[in-house]
Amino acid sequence: MIRCENLQITFNPGLPTEKKALRGIDLEIPEGEFVTVIGSNGAGKSTLLNALAGDIGSTGGKIWFGEKDVTRLPATGRTRDVARVFQDPLAGTCGNMTIEENMALAYGRTERGNLSFALNSKLRDIFRTQLARLNLGLEDRLHSEMGLLSGGQRQSVSLLMSALQPSKILLLDEHTAALDPKTAALIMDISSQIIAEKQLTVLMVTHSMRQALDYGSRSLMLHEGKVVFDLQGEERAGYEVKDLLNLFAKARGDGEELDDDKLLLGS
Amino acid sequence: MSMFAFMGTLEIGFVYGLVAIGVYLTFRVLDFPDLTVDGSFTLGAAVAAAMIVTGFNPYLSTFCAALAGASAGMVTAWLNLRFNILHLLASILTMTALYTINLRVMGKPNVALIMEPTVLSPFEALGLSSMYLKVIFVAVCALIIGGLVAFFLQTQYGLAMRATGANPRMAQANGIVTKEKIYAGLALSNGLVAIAGALFAQTNGFADSTMGIGTIVVGLAAVIVGESLFGSRNMWVIIFSCLIGSILYRLAVSMALSADFLGFTASDLNFITAALVAVALILPQLRREWKARQAAKEAQS
Repeated sequence: MIRCENLQITFNPGLPTEKKALRGIDLEIPEGEFVTVIGSNGAGKSTLLNALAGDIGSTGGKIWFGEKDVTRLPATGRTRDVARVFQDPLAGTCGNMTIEENMALAYGRTERGNLSFALNSKLRDIFRTQLARLNLGLEDRLHSEMGLLSGGQRQSVSLLMSALQPSKILLLDEHTAALDPKTAALIMDISSQIIAEKQLTVLMVTHSMRQALDYGSRSLMLHEGKVVFDLQGEERAGYEVKDLLNLFAKARGDGEELDDDKLLLGS
Repeated sequence: MSMFAFMGTLEIGFVYGLVAIGVYLTFRVLDFPDLTVDGSFTLGAAVAAAMIVTGFNPYLSTFCAALAGASAGMVTAWLNLRFNILHLLASILTMTALYTINLRVMGKPNVALIMEPTVLSPFEALGLSSMYLKVIFVAVCALIIGGLVAFFLQTQYGLAMRATGANPRMAQANGIVTKEKIYAGLALSNGLVAIAGALFAQTNGFADSTMGIGTIVVGLAAVIVGESLFGSRNMWVIIFSCLIGSILYRLAVSMALSADFLGFTASDLNFITAALVAVALILPQLRREWKARQAAKEAQS
């Protein structure tokens, strides 16, 4: 479903601040696979997701969705295939618009631009049914302004919005990192439900080793813009968090102790 | 205030209500502070006046004025989107260039329309006095256009435009081509302002190369006055409040000018404008601070 061939991304090429964020990623993800992506800060996890979504143009290499070469396609041209949820709960929704307006925007992701009313009773029914899944009582607050909701509530709605239109690929960029543990668990729960229901191909970036092993069927570890470890199948089933941490240390190649608290503490 | 002065105030209030709607579209909907309007207001007046004097139909002339304004907006958008010139600066560049263009369009610093046919001519047969006719005509125009804009902002396209201003990254992630929305929004905004200019020229009987100076402040004042009075999220109410804000602002100005004990003369207009806008901006801030102090006091006791 997703295929990257020698994907490279360099920020500020030719300048003193040049940064090679991705140094040649070769990756093939079959349809319906749920891949978790881990790696230390600056490893290129988010860059990889942004490159797949089209936010960042690639410096070299190619990206395919199925048979389609999307390398040159901008983000807006890929939304038929790709849905995403950002790390920042404020990033995925418009704070000064109502819940129903936000959902109408997401509903129009694949077809857009006509001059009929964006909202109607049929759509509101769909939105209400979807919101009811969250058990947050939001189904009665369609007219509430998005900015009045808590971060967790906003992230929940973002998640629903990503699944309002059929898409094939879902990109989750640490979408539970900014939430309290209880809300994070709820969001992960709904994510898994949606993913199973729609049989999506998923890439989920996470800082939590636990999450990386608990969810999905394959784990990638990125380090300095390369895939250093690709864990799947039987081998993955036998892995524990501490094994991952060892791999991490090995990837850094210096035996240096892990100083990233987030990795250790993440539940 | 005499009836005549009151009607004149209403008339100008409605005309500048269109400016306020245009300013609302750029400043609030698109989050794109656009000063082009100072130029496009005059451009609308200049194009309409020059065409009417040449013998074109006043309605066709007004339509062409709208197109000219829209193009001016597109130029600003192009400078900003294509060449990454800061939006404020891009609009100032267009505005500056328009000053010359307006002089060229008119061929002289001002054009009189006193004896020419205008958009009002077909209705003169109704027998209303011109004082009332003007007010009713501009009010109907402003309400129809305002209604269309309010409707537009609730369509799929309008919603996409609002998302472009509110959260461009989210908009793109949802397949919205944000650049196109900014072009469209600036064209629409400046088109409306140009229509206001064209109407102003025809109801007041002249177009002048300096008539646009300060348009942005007046438009912004109307938007802010309207916002602080209504503060609703409903699009119909918001657009309506732009019109009301514009009229209230005009009333405040003409009252300040006509109150003898203040001793203002017509040439003090710009000071009054600035003072009124400042007050409209300061009051909500003071109210917030006062509320915060009250809350703090309650928390202590």
